[in-house]
Amino acid sequence: MTVARSIEVRYFAAAADAAGREEETIALPAAATVGGLRAALLERYGAPMERALRTGSFLVDGVVSRDDARPLGDRVDVLPPFAGG
Amino acid sequence: MPEHARVTPDPLDRAALEKLVRTPADGAVVVFEGVIRDHDHGAGVASLDYRAHPDAEAFLTRIVDETAAATGVRLAAAHRIGHLAIGDTALVAVAASAHRAEAFAACARLVEAIKAGVPIWKRQHLDGGATEWVGLTE
Repeated sequence: MTVARSIEVRYFAAAADAAGREEETIALPAAATVGGLRAALLERYGAPMERALRTGSFLVDGVVSRDDARPLGDRVDVLPPFAGG
Repeated sequence: MPEHARVTPDPLDRAALEKLVRTPADGAVVVFEGVIRDHDHGAGVASLDYRAHPDAEAFLTRIVDETAAATGVRLAAAHRIGHLAIGDTALVAVAASAHRAEAFAACARLVEAIKAGVPIWKRQHLDGGATEWVGLTE
């Protein structure tokens, strides 16, 4: 896997707890997708991140997505399931 | 800053929201308040911390506007964030229309859309000191 670019990742709520931080830069292949980031996060942070992501989503270019095929931009937010109200 | 869709750390002003949507043509004003309760899934709840994504207010604005457009009912909503105690109001949603059926339906639809679509999270402080993020599946 050739590392081709850096992606700014922000974590919120349970995802921030799982990562132990609120943001970081992750190196991913040029053709990185939501699914590729998901796999990288599970490898890094294990079960707590899996729980945050299971019914969570990603904010990619202003759009909330759960589509693993969606290409990533330079920034992505990791969003656990919403719990407003 | 849209007055009819706010995400704020301040106590919510229900009367101000009502004033935004009421017109002389309205025979029905429906207000929903989401209130911090002292229990969840059988456990005692002591307090809650709400966190919002930096763009949460933009998400809320779009949902209020889209729901108003889809229902033809005037709507406003505000969500409070930060540390909230039992009995505090976390969400106010207001619907005003000529007749009650549309106002009830639009208010319910708005509340469901807010819960599903606005990036806000809450950490529950349980009696006994444990904390948990609400909404994660086991």
